[in-house]
Amino acid sequence: MASFSRAAQVRNSPWNSLCLLVSQQWASFSKVWYLIDAKMQPPGKIATMCSVRLQGKHKPIYHALSDCGDHVVVVNTRHIAFSGNKWEQKVYSSHSGYPGGFKQVTAAQLHQKDPTAIVKLAIYGMLPRNLLRRTMMQRLHLFPDEVIPDEILKNLVEELPQPRKVPRRLDEYTQEEIDAFPRLWTPPEDYRMK
Amino acid sequence: MVFLSLSRWIRSRGPDRYWRHRELLQHARHFRGRKNRCYSLALRTVRRAFQYSTRDKRLKKRNMRLLWISRIAAASREHGLKYPMLISNLVKCQVELNRKVLADLAIYEPKTFKSLAALAKRRREEGFSDALGDGREPTGIFSRIVHSG
Repeated sequence: MASFSRAAQVRNSPWNSLCLLVSQQWASFSKVWYLIDAKMQPPGKIATMCSVRLQGKHKPIYHALSDCGDHVVVVNTRHIAFSGNKWEQKVYSSHSGYPGGFKQVTAAQLHQKDPTAIVKLAIYGMLPRNLLRRTMMQRLHLFPDEVIPDEILKNLVEELPQPRKVPRRLDEYTQEEIDAFPRLWTPPEDYRMK
Repeated sequence: MVFLSLSRWIRSRGPDRYWRHRELLQHARHFRGRKNRCYSLALRTVRRAFQYSTRDKRLKKRNMRLLWISRIAAASREHGLKYPMLISNLVKCQVELNRKVLADLAIYEPKTFKSLAALAKRRREEGFSDALGDGREPTGIFSRIVHSG
């Protein structure tokens, strides 16, 4: 992706303010559309990448007030992978406001009900707690599978690399690779493997 | 009958209240509501505004430095480095550019910033090879690592 910094054509005064010269580069503040594939990825790492780009912190022209965030499209949110036992142990709590309305749902149940909710809540919690958070969330687009509407597909510019390297399953290795793998010890003839 | 000393019986309670109020209301003209017109309300608000202004003169320096740091971090990540790596290695190369200048370079002089990032990366690799390779002579071009003995 080309760098966001743009060399200005004229630098004459010693106190050049940013507003004078940035206006010469009309595409500096244009929104860029990123694609992230969340298949077999931890949702927290996906969320950090998304939140950095939604705020615009990946640009050297960043300022909190200058609305320099980009759009992010996350695909395959149904296939995210929590590490450890988080699917059963991580609890998402909410309160409806009415008495007796406290609800606690495990990550697995929430994912069953809404496959995009986990990533959405993760990103919502990572954005700064100000009034711009809702607009940044509107620039985030989540899809549970590979199906993306055409309007969004046309806007996409760059796909970001996945944060976690997905390991191969045993059945994805060829028999030659399995045989070529070095053995630490050979079990004796009468050894019983469970 | 003529009262010649009538004027001496009139007391003036301070002739310049109007101008004292004007001076204060000048500072309140951009406020919202009655505090931009009414003296008593403006007095309190302007006093607080001045207190905020002096406090923020100190905060502005901190906030500007934080902004420069986040901008430099973003630009160095574009070039494959992180902010602490960039700064520490530039200091080790005796490049004494402050964060303000680095941030301006990152925005307006991208090729210069790219070369600074490459310099920092090279110095970092030389530091690693010096630490791991255990003190053989050609340590590097950019580093001046001096071994004792």
